[in-house]
Amino acid sequence: MGTAVKVKTITMREAIIEALVEEMERDPSTVLFGEDVGKFGGINAITKGLYEKFGGQRVFDTPIAETTIVGAALGMAITGLRPIPELQFGDFVGIAFDEVFNKLGKWRYMHGGQMEVPVTLRLPVGIAGGAGPEHSQSPQALFMHAPGIHIAIPSTPADAKGLLKTAIRDNNAVLFFEHKLLYGMKGDVPEEEYLIPLGKADVKRVGTDVTIIATALQVHTALNAANTLAKDGIEAEVIDPRTLAPLDMDTILASVRKTGRVLIVHEEPKTGGCGAEIAAQIAEKALFDLHAPIKRIGSPDVPIAQSIYLEQFYRPSENQIIEVVKELLEY
Amino acid sequence: MAEIYQKEIKLSDYRKEDLIKFYREMVKIRKFDEHLIRLMHEGKVSGFYHSGIGSESVSVGSITNILRDEDYIFYNHRGCNQKIAKGVPLSKIYGDFLGTVEGTTRGLGAGIVHSADPSRGVLGQCGTIGSQFNIVVGTAYSAKLRGTDQVSVCYFGDGAASREPLHGSLNWAGLYKLPVVYICENNGYAISSTFEETHSVREHLADWAWGYGIPSCVVDGNDVLLMQEVVKEAVERAKLGEGPTFIEAQTFRHRGHFEGDAYDYVDKAVLNDWKENRDPIKSFKKKLLENQYCTENDLLNVDEEVEYEIHAAIKVAENAPLPEPNRIFEGLYA
Ligand SMILES: Cc1ncc(C[n+]2csc(CCOP(=O)(O)OP(=O)(O)O)c2C)c(N)n1
Repeated sequence: MGTAVKVKTITMREAIIEALVEEMERDPSTVLFGEDVGKFGGINAITKGLYEKFGGQRVFDTPIAETTIVGAALGMAITGLRPIPELQFGDFVGIAFDEVFNKLGKWRYMHGGQMEVPVTLRLPVGIAGGAGPEHSQSPQALFMHAPGIHIAIPSTPADAKGLLKTAIRDNNAVLFFEHKLLYGMKGDVPEEEYLIPLGKADVKRVGTDVTIIATALQVHTALNAANTLAKDGIEAEVIDPRTLAPLDMDTILASVRKTGRVLIVHEEPKTGGCGAEIAAQIAEKALFDLHAPIKRIGSPDVPIAQSIYLEQFYRPSENQIIEVVKELLEY
Repeated sequence: MAEIYQKEIKLSDYRKEDLIKFYREMVKIRKFDEHLIRLMHEGKVSGFYHSGIGSESVSVGSITNILRDEDYIFYNHRGCNQKIAKGVPLSKIYGDFLGTVEGTTRGLGAGIVHSADPSRGVLGQCGTIGSQFNIVVGTAYSAKLRGTDQVSVCYFGDGAASREPLHGSLNWAGLYKLPVVYICENNGYAISSTFEETHSVREHLADWAWGYGIPSCVVDGNDVLLMQEVVKEAVERAKLGEGPTFIEAQTFRHRGHFEGDAYDYVDKAVLNDWKENRDPIKSFKKKLLENQYCTENDLLNVDEEVEYEIHAAIKVAENAPLPEPNRIFEGLYA
């Protein structure tokens, strides 16, 4: 943020609520729905106050029916509404897989480009509080394989607000992944209205020795690791792609060409995570700029244990990042 | 329980020109289908087609003179019956099958599903049969929220009715009193599985809707006028904000599930009975002639006019070019 921008310090939860309120005030065709999102305000308290503000037609509780929630959103979108459905947990996207994978991104295309699908589907994800194997996952990378869908995964309150506002205004389907551990995290958010484009990565920390590409909670882990590394004179550049589709490879490649060393960190399992695609593209386009092999840290390729003690070991840690960066610098 | 819909209908309740229109529309659908099958045999169109012959009355009975352009439909994967009744130009539907730029998808190709004509409320269809159950409650909610009296009609087969989304959909439609009309084309088979083998019902599929508090009935789908009556009532209810209706239209397919299906799992005698005695076009024609609403010649004229229209449409579709290969990169994003 430039110095001239007036900011306030709020949580990501508050930033998301602000984005929802502003966009719903701006556009009467917006409609928000999901399980317990009405009077109750959502299990993550992300929709608090919206029912009172916009009424029960535009903010409504649905039955527990994820396929219907997402399918209905598509039906609303192609007939003039701008739906903002929520699934209580991102893991439940599996229940609506046909709707998300086969419909949201394809409906327009397979019908000859005649309709628009302005759906913003909010999906809380991430390991948080011993929720177990079906309430802790980060399934975002699955949808990098589904053409036609945009994927946003913010790491800060400011990014969450700016990206969500853009997502809602966008005339395509956007899957909006929110890491549950970030909801309470505070950050500076501009007082004035602003938008953040989809497909524009953000360099969260400038550095010269190694490029760390990280998403969601892992951006913060990477920044912490970078600060520790700085004490040893190692300057890491930390890049948050912010959206996985579109993916801003230009920003990533520019950094890689500068540092010649790459580590990709994410919470989804290492195999088939977004790091796999990013690494492949770096190898295709900048292999000879590299001084060391591309490294990835993800969660282990096993289901997430329920145990609140064990779950912490799934999350990539600051120490892991520091170790791998030091290894990269040995080449 | 679902009632069996019955009603005394006198031809004189209808204007003569409307009766002829119903006949014409049914013939158009049948001839469209027959010519499409011919194009398959000529190797111009892929055989991924589920003929709609034998059920034309379900579509004409539920659409012609009832639905407006602004009413939405999700058509069934069988035939092009509903698309044609809703007025999608024939050349455009043929164009989708032939893959020329005349098609609604401008050369991307579509067939049994994926043709669309939003200007006529034809919003496309799912390749995963039955997924329209979810989408239709969205279009209906949208109409309601926008304060219009647009009706959303959802067509599906008895097989698709086994999909889980039907129940999510009925629950929403009943709960939010949505302007949806569900029309099940129950032709007794899902590919080779009989209705009885794959459904747990009291007696009829429509009984499921009854369980959700949704008015429902079973009707002879091959009687075009009976379909008109029952659907008019349902559409009226929807427009008045009285909520959804579930109609199970009983019918039968004259051909196999797909072109090339040996169709030997169906009792020949049963099939012949449907073809000879319950063919919707034959029966309606007989009724018109018996009641002297028109002469054999009048109807032959209609047949000829339709035949001409079909040939002209095919010509337009065939003469249009195939798309450039880079067509596949157009239209992904708005
Ligand atoms: C979700 C899904 N499952 C299976 C299929 C394959 N399939 C296409 S049509 C069909 C039978 C459908 O039967 P029914 O709904 O009764 O309609 P009918 O073909 O008899 O008109 C099947 C199994 C599909 N397209 N989508």
